[in-house]
Order: sequence, then structure tokens, then C-alpha cells
Amino acid sequence: MDNTKRYERMRERYLNGDLDRRKFLGLIGAAGLAYGVHTPFARQALAATEQVRFDGWGGVVSEAFRKYAFDPYTKKTGIKVVDGTFGGGDEYLSRVKASQEGEYNIAHLSGVFDYARYANLGLNSTLNEANIPNLKFVIPKLTDVFRSVTDGTLSCVPYDYGTTGIAYNRKYISDEEAKEKGAKLLIDAAYKGKIGGWSDWRTRVWYASLQTDQDPNDATDMDAVWEAVRTNRDLLLKYWQSGAELMSLLAEEEIYVTEGWSGRIYALQEQGKDIGYIDPPNGFGWQECLFVIKGSPMEACEELLNFMLAPETSIAVAEGQNYPPALDPTKVNLGDKIPTLPAFDPTGKLDGLTFANPEYWNSHEQAWSKTFGRIQKGY
Amino acid sequence: MSVEARERRQPWILLSPALTAIGLLLFVPLFFIVVYSFWLRTATGADQAGFYLDNWNEALTDPFYRDILFSTLRIAAITTVACAVLGYPAAYFIARSKGNKALLLLLLMLPFWISYIIRTMSWINILGVSGAVNWVLLNLGITSEPIQMLYNEPTVILGLVHFLLPFMVLNVYVALEGVDVSLEDAACSLGSTRWQAFREVTLPLSLPGLAAGGLLCFVLSAGTYITPLVLGGPTDAMYANLVFEAIITQLNWPLGSALSLMLLGVLGALVLVYNHYLGMGQLMKGLG
Amino acid sequence: MGWPLIRVYTLLVYLFMFLPVAVVVLLSFNASQFGSFPMTGLSFRWFVELAQNEAILRAFRTSLVLGALTALISTTLGVLASLALVRYNIAGRNLISTLLIAPILVPEVVLAVALLLFLNFLSINKSFFLLLMGHVIFTLPFVILVVQARLVGIRRDYEEAALSLGASPVQTFFQITLPLLAPAVFAGMLFAFTISFDDITGTLFWKPGGVETVPTQIFAMLRNSISPEINALGTVMIFLTVGLPLLGLAIARRMAMQRGG
Repeated sequence: MDNTKRYERMRERYLNGDLDRRKFLGLIGAAGLAYGVHTPFARQALAATEQVRFDGWGGVVSEAFRKYAFDPYTKKTGIKVVDGTFGGGDEYLSRVKASQEGEYNIAHLSGVFDYARYANLGLNSTLNEANIPNLKFVIPKLTDVFRSVTDGTLSCVPYDYGTTGIAYNRKYISDEEAKEKGAKLLIDAAYKGKIGGWSDWRTRVWYASLQTDQDPNDATDMDAVWEAVRTNRDLLLKYWQSGAELMSLLAEEEIYVTEGWSGRIYALQEQGKDIGYIDPPNGFGWQECLFVIKGSPMEACEELLNFMLAPETSIAVAEGQNYPPALDPTKVNLGDKIPTLPAFDPTGKLDGLTFANPEYWNSHEQAWSKTFGRIQKGY
Repeated sequence: MSVEARERRQPWILLSPALTAIGLLLFVPLFFIVVYSFWLRTATGADQAGFYLDNWNEALTDPFYRDILFSTLRIAAITTVACAVLGYPAAYFIARSKGNKALLLLLLMLPFWISYIIRTMSWINILGVSGAVNWVLLNLGITSEPIQMLYNEPTVILGLVHFLLPFMVLNVYVALEGVDVSLEDAACSLGSTRWQAFREVTLPLSLPGLAAGGLLCFVLSAGTYITPLVLGGPTDAMYANLVFEAIITQLNWPLGSALSLMLLGVLGALVLVYNHYLGMGQLMKGLG
Repeated sequence: MGWPLIRVYTLLVYLFMFLPVAVVVLLSFNASQFGSFPMTGLSFRWFVELAQNEAILRAFRTSLVLGALTALISTTLGVLASLALVRYNIAGRNLISTLLIAPILVPEVVLAVALLLFLNFLSINKSFFLLLMGHVIFTLPFVILVVQARLVGIRRDYEEAALSLGASPVQTFFQITLPLLAPAVFAGMLFAFTISFDDITGTLFWKPGGVETVPTQIFAMLRNSISPEINALGTVMIFLTVGLPLLGLAIARRMAMQRGG
């Protein structure tokens, strides 16, 4: 952990006259004594941090965080939470890459991919899990994926999960047809001009792998995959960019079928739209995490993560965005709504979901994102 | 100090705040971009410093970039002409109307109060298969099936024109406002028709505004990336989408830098031409 | 072209401009979240929710302040620079003009990243002031273009007459040039304000912690779904900018008529 850094900072404040001598020595003693253990002194060392920066999605998600996690956290620790928003993970990573160390602290990121990307760029930190007691409620399978990327340690806590399955308008496509055709519904010439698709290269390659009967985590015939991506493109009305666009395209019947995010489709169903949703065999499962970026005040962040993982925060956020929380339903009572959400697994084992293998995907990122970029534009 | 020396210094004093701001916040950062364009992106995503010509080689020789650059310039040109055709008469009307001009201008800027993304996405409610236009057509019995109108090049241009038209109208209006109405009347009283008077007196005098508006429309549409994303079909990407993808999606800043410098080069040349033929120097001569 | 024809033409152009506005206003009263036609029900629910949404209201205030300051600074710099370019014979005028327009020639993403790299190099933290300066930079070309175009049309004779009658250059500027320039200054400010108010890319990159504008709030909602509260906000803004002046005008006219009668 970066206790050395904390010491440096305290020393600096001491020299500036911000800390008096007794408090300074006390804090040094505390840091030396209590390495990772909670003592009253450590509590004081924590207070040396004045604010933590959190970045995430806006709207209902940030409202839920503020109410259930940030405000109680500030009340308890005196540390302010400065929250910011982003429009997408890629854009946020560019910002972090162009920032100074310590400027950004915690972010609500897309699980495995972003985690591995941040780790590759050397932006990961090491959490002291003893400081996050609520971690014990989290589904173990979700944390294991992260540990495998960063040699057994964690730089994040899992937060929620969902699937990217197939959404279809039941007025035009029956449940039986959807079930029978599965991923191939998206390359069915009968729906030319009525198909939508996410403009994300991973999703495109994943579904093209399914359409060519290959393992999405280990496709061998890439030519066939790209051919399927091209076929899909030629039948497509539009590549959508955001959940808002996905919902609007389906709700207004611009498109009849697309792959879609489980939570967004649930929101459409909630509003009475007759949209079906299935996860085809080997459908795309994903999770999101709360990632702590290198150079952050670790103990303050760990404490905040603990507040954010607390069941009442997790449940409020989950109900807002319609993705089940990472909490194990066999250990925590998740209320009435969450068990009805798509992708939810009451056993807490998540055996039915296929997650992306970060090594496989990130090793091809550069080449594949570029190839898709060209195919997408008609080349 | 001599009067002459003061004369010489004055314009630089006036220019210095703008030049300082632009120099510090645009040109110095741009220098970083130039340096970056010679770096390389490694497989892990980190950037490798050095002097490599790979990005430039790719940006300049790959037909993919060239094709999209040309189609972007074509779309920008069509948009500019459309804005001029739609905008000039409207600007003329505002400038010559006896009503409340400020209110008319304010009304024109009204769409800007609605955020760009929302405004662009709202075309789905207008032109979509369950949008307002199709609803009217169906109810009037003009069609029996809703017409698929969205997500093609014309809708991208439509979105761009809607975004840029106010810039054209405002520029032309400002120029027309400076043209004395009595000049046109005088020409008429000397026997020209209204149309002749307009063509020979008003139109030439309003050219600086038309040119400024045209330049803005062209440059802004060439640099846009949200409109083709929201209103375009699968193959309607524009050049700024490539820059955005290189920098944000692929995190390949070196290539993105080279690509954007290429666009800057093309548009910069265009502005130099504008300044040479239609810009201040030329106009001053014409008026002097 | 006859005047009535121009009038109809202009009306059509305005109708085209208002189409999306009309849709957004309509949808802000829609009971459901999606707007397919015909609409299903009427409701004020989004306005009520807007009034209670502290985050959006705060972003709205930030956007207003940012836009107003941008307009003020940008117009001042732009008018000064335009005066120098049009009223003086300086070497390299074409080049300087081009340089001043440069901020809109660079794709905004690039400008955004470049400025951040530079700040890192200097170890300067992001701040509201910096965001403001960023907005000033890319609104400046709009102001300069519109003010220059107007300034060329103002004849030097007026200024020279004032100067020869003993007015100082500063007096001349404020009493002769500025009033003649007023439409362009107004247009420039309107440009600068609206562009700043509507900017997304640069703002995303430059905003310091805790500062959100309306567009960045909307952007952050894109993943889940944009709440119709945003439509309600648009409706409120439109009412404020158009409804109030119209109301004022109507009252003024009424009072004038009463006085006349």
C-alpha cells in the first residue's frame, strides 16, 4: 500500500504548518503501528484525506449513490465525495490517461475489459480487502475474474452484472422463432432494414462467433467471423451507440430485432412495450465494477467502496438501472424487484452466464477494433 | 513617441489578448499533437516516444482515410450550399423587416436551448416510422405503409443543415444590416428592377457575410461526429468519426493526431484561400 | 423575388428550425417516456420531477454562468482583434486572420486532449477558469468572423469625422463605432453563449470535479435513458427566452394603446 506516500503527504502538511507537531507524530506512530488494522489512530490518518473523486453514470445511478453511499460516508468520515459523470468508458479512460496521478480515484467501469486495460496501462492499485468487510457478500465468481488479471489481488470490487442478449418486437417476431434462430436472427435476410446493432467491436465479434457456431471466447475462423459481421452490417438499419438510442429505436418500431442490454430491455417491458428478450446459448454476460485508480488515497477509497457495496446502496442502484447487483442472493436479501430482473441468478453461482475472457479479448483489441471500424463504415 | 510609432503599435495591443489566448491554449497544445503524431502506439496501449513515420504513412496512403475525407468534404459542401439557399432569403427578410429583429434572431437560436444530442435524436420522433410525418401521411391516406426515411446520407445532411443554418443566417443578416436600404431604392429609381437592384447592389455588399457563414458551415460540418452517429446509417461515417475512434475507442493518440493534423491541413488551406480571395485584405481593396 | 414570397419562404425556414423544438416541447407533456404519434396522454409529471432534481438544476445554473462569461470575454477579445484586423494596415493580416479562426479547424476531441496534455506538462489542475478559457477559445472564431464582416461594412468616414472634431479614439469607439457595430456584437454574444451552452466534447474533458453542465448531464444519462425531465427543461428555457419577451411586448403595446386611447 502507499503508506509511504501518505507519510510524504503528512510530512509536507506538517512542514507547511497545516498539522501540529503532536498530531503529526501521532499519525506517524499510527501509520507505523497499525499497518492495515483499524485503530483510532488509523481513523485519524484517514481524516487527513479531504476528498475522494468518484466518476460514474448520471441520472438515477448517481442519485442513488449520492443518497445511499456518499452522504452517509461524508457524515461518518468527514471526507467529501466529489462526483463526476462520463458518457462512456472509452472517453473516461482517455481522460484518465491525460490526467495527473491522483486526480481521479474511483470509477464505475465495465468489468473485465476495462479492468484489464487499466492494468495494462499500469493504472491499477491494490486494495486492502480487510478494509472492505462488505466484500464478503459479493459473488465469488465475479471477483475471481479480476484476481486472475492482477495476480490474485484486487484493484476493484464487482458491482453489478447483466447480459447482452437478443431483443425483439413480439408483434413481428414470435418467441418460438427467436428461440429457434437465436443469434442468427441478427443475420436473417427476412428482417433486412429492421435490424439494429451495437457499434461495439467486442459485441459484434462475439455475436458473429455465435452466428458461425464458434466459441465466443476462442474463435478460430476469423474470416468467417468478419464475413458474418459484414452480412449483419448489410442488413442493418443502424448501429446504435447508447442505451437511450437502443430503447428509442425499439420503442418506436424503427427496428424489430437487435442485440440489447438486459436492463434496458427490462425498462422497456416495464413501460408496457411488447419486447421479448432471450439470452442465446453462450450469450454475452458482463459485469461492472468500482475501480480504484493508482495514486488514490487507498484507505479513504476502501471505506467508500464499503459504503457503496452495502446492501441498501447496491439495491437502490440496481433498481435504478435494472441490472442485478454483484451481491450473493444466498447471503443477502435483495428485495422484491431484483429477482425479476433479466440475467438475475438466484443461486449466486452465475453458471448460466458466459463472461468474456479478458486475455483473449485484450490481446486482439488493437487489430479487431480497427478491422471492425472499417467494416462498420462499409469497407 | 511619434504618432506613427503609436499607430504601428495600436493594432498589436488590440490583438494581443486574443493572440495570447489562442497561442497559449491552442498552438502550444497543438505542438504536443504534432510531436505525438510521430510516436507509436504499442500493443499494450502505452505510447512509445520517438520519431516514427508510420502514422503519417498510414494516414496519407491508406485509401480508407482518403475516401472518407473526400466524402466528408462533399457532404460539407452540400450542407453549405443548402444553408446558403435556405438562409439567405431568411436573413434578407429579417434585415428588411420592420418587426422586432432581435426577437426574430433569438427565435432562430431557439433550437440551441435544446441540447444537441436531444435535438438530433428528436428527428426520430419526426421522420421515424412511428413519427409525426408518417402519422400524417398515413392518416391522409397518402401511403398505406409507413415510409422508412431515416438513417441515410440525406438525413445526415438534414441534421447538419438544421444545426448550421442559424450560423449562416446570422452572418448574412449582420452583413445585410450594414447595407443601406436607400442604395437599393436609388438603383430602382434609376430604372433598374428590384431584382436587378438586389443583384447589383445588395448582393455584392452582403458577400462578406455570405462567405463568413459559408466558411463556418463548411468547417463545422467537416468536423462533426455526433450527427452521422445519430442520423446516419451503417456506412455514413464522416472524417471526425475516424479521429474520434482513433483517439477515444482505440486509444491510439499517435494515429489520431496524424489524422486530425491532416484535416487541419485541408481546412487550414481552405481558410487561407478564403482569406486571400474573400477575406479582409481583398475586401478592403474592393471598398477602398 | 417579391416580398410576400420571401415572407412565406422565411416562414417555412423557421418552421423547419422549430420542428425538433416542437417535438421536444410536446414530449415534455407526454405521459409516457417515448414519443410515438399519436401521443397517449398528457401529464406535468416531468416538470414536477425537474423541479425536484437538484443535479439538473445545478448543471443548468452552471451552464448559464459559463455561457454568459464566455460570451462576455469572447466578444470583448473578438471585437478588439477585429478592430485591429480591419482598421489597421498590419503586416501578415491574412495569416493572423487564419490563426484566429484555427480553433474551429481542429476537431474538438483533439483540441480537448491536447490541452489536457499541456496542462499535465505544466502540472496545472483543472478548474472552472480553465473550462471557461477553453470555451472562450473555440467561440472566438465565431465572434471574429461575424464582427469582421460587419466592421468592413462600416465606413471609416464616420470615425474620421468624429476624430477630426476632436474626439479621442476611445470616445470615437464607444460613441460611433460600437453603436454601429451593435448588431454584430449582439450576434457574436448570442453565438458565443449558445455554443458554450451546447458544447459537449470539450466540456467533458476540461470540467473539474463536481462541475457538470446540462450537456454533460445528458451525456451521462445516455447509457440508461435520457429522462424526459430534460425535455421539460428545454420547454422551460424556451418559455423564458420567447414567452417572456413576447409577453413584455404585448404588455408594452397594450399600455401604449391605452395611453393613445
